[in-house]
Amino acid sequence: MKEVKVKDASPLCTIVPDTEPGIQQPSSRIQTRFAKWPKVAAFLESLPSGSLILDAGCGNGKYLGLNSSCYFIGCDISPSLIKICADKGHEVLVADAVNLPYRTNFCDAAISIAVLHHLSTENRRKKAIEELVRVVKKGGLVLITIWAVEQEDKSLLTKWTPLAEKYVEEWIGPGSPCVRGPSSPTLESIPETEENDLGGNPKDSRESLNGNMLQSMRSTPQNEDDSLVSNDGRSQQEYFVPWHLPYHRAEVSGASASALANGLAKKDDKKGAVVYNRYYHVFGEGELERLVSGMDNAVIVDKFYDKSNWCIILEKTLQG
Amino acid sequence: MRLLTHNMLSSNIKGVANGFPLRIEVEKVVEKEVEINHDFLRNIFPKIDWKALSDASRIMGYHELPEEPPEPSVLEADIEFLRKFHHALLELHLEEGALLCPESGRKFPVNKGIPNMLLLEDEV
Repeated sequence: MKEVKVKDASPLCTIVPDTEPGIQQPSSRIQTRFAKWPKVAAFLESLPSGSLILDAGCGNGKYLGLNSSCYFIGCDISPSLIKICADKGHEVLVADAVNLPYRTNFCDAAISIAVLHHLSTENRRKKAIEELVRVVKKGGLVLITIWAVEQEDKSLLTKWTPLAEKYVEEWIGPGSPCVRGPSSPTLESIPETEENDLGGNPKDSRESLNGNMLQSMRSTPQNEDDSLVSNDGRSQQEYFVPWHLPYHRAEVSGASASALANGLAKKDDKKGAVVYNRYYHVFGEGELERLVSGMDNAVIVDKFYDKSNWCIILEKTLQG
Repeated sequence: MRLLTHNMLSSNIKGVANGFPLRIEVEKVVEKEVEINHDFLRNIFPKIDWKALSDASRIMGYHELPEEPPEPSVLEADIEFLRKFHHALLELHLEEGALLCPESGRKFPVNKGIPNMLLLEDEV
């Protein structure tokens, strides 16, 4: 057993805001150029000092340490994203949001930012929400945000590939990435880049969609945007969204090479990037509420639409 | 992985009744100094399973924590004790090793300080 003393001058939470709130130090700007989403930041900053906070599906860790008076623990299914967080000094591990490896009632609050829409079945989405509620203490809060069907920028939808219903079974069948067996190849998650921030993070500082705008979007879904409607006329919620990994960031002889060989990704020489199609189940209005309506140990304390995302805040009402 | 995290982890394998605490197998421990925050330590203390922390710190090579949990008043007055609590909780890192489910013995590897808690299909 070897002991090494390393001096680390960072305080409890290592991300120190620049003079502009929400913008990270130059050394980490390469990884995350986009500003932190104000609503998530506000939620985290409202939590009492000394809170223990779980970020389940923390990605590259942009929310870890955001409230410097609290202690953050993060987990994500992607080892490469977790490595980025660990290199910044965060306390993180690799885990599945559907089976959180934490004790019941352990944390004061939990967040799930743009995560649930990657889970391919309603059962898994429900289980992930139950896990978030399980791990917070009684009275603890859970913030969940997911991509909405009702996107503010409809032109984005033209870049997405709708997954026709007849292929859904195939996608979530035994060979699919969401079911991991000892011999089946694992689809490595793709490190996020700033170009891939479609709908999940604000690109401008527009105010939340007001009631009138939302009403007009809902009243004309079929006519205005064909890509929202599948062939049988029902609302389209399953998509493949292209994610671009620039060549200079893609590993030459690693996950990207095997993904290309397996047909899970293709090269776009014009953009100089490997293009993956990532699965999304975007949520319709009320869908998130419907998922939590059956829960007997949590209540909804807030719900809102913000920057093309449906958001909900739950409070745990019963121990366990 | 710090012992604060270890204190919050539990094996979630299907069929396991009590997956806490995970047993620690040490290959490499790293100590990293971090600024002490007395208020934080007092806030977090009620969440900590003391026996699990005390046992784990011993396995990591640190023998200063008492086996019995302190009275809360100790946290208010005893700065030296807070220093030891802080060191065990936040400054000891399991860099390489494994965490073992106390019931099934299943190993979750820890590499470069990062535990991998992903389950296989038949464990879910």
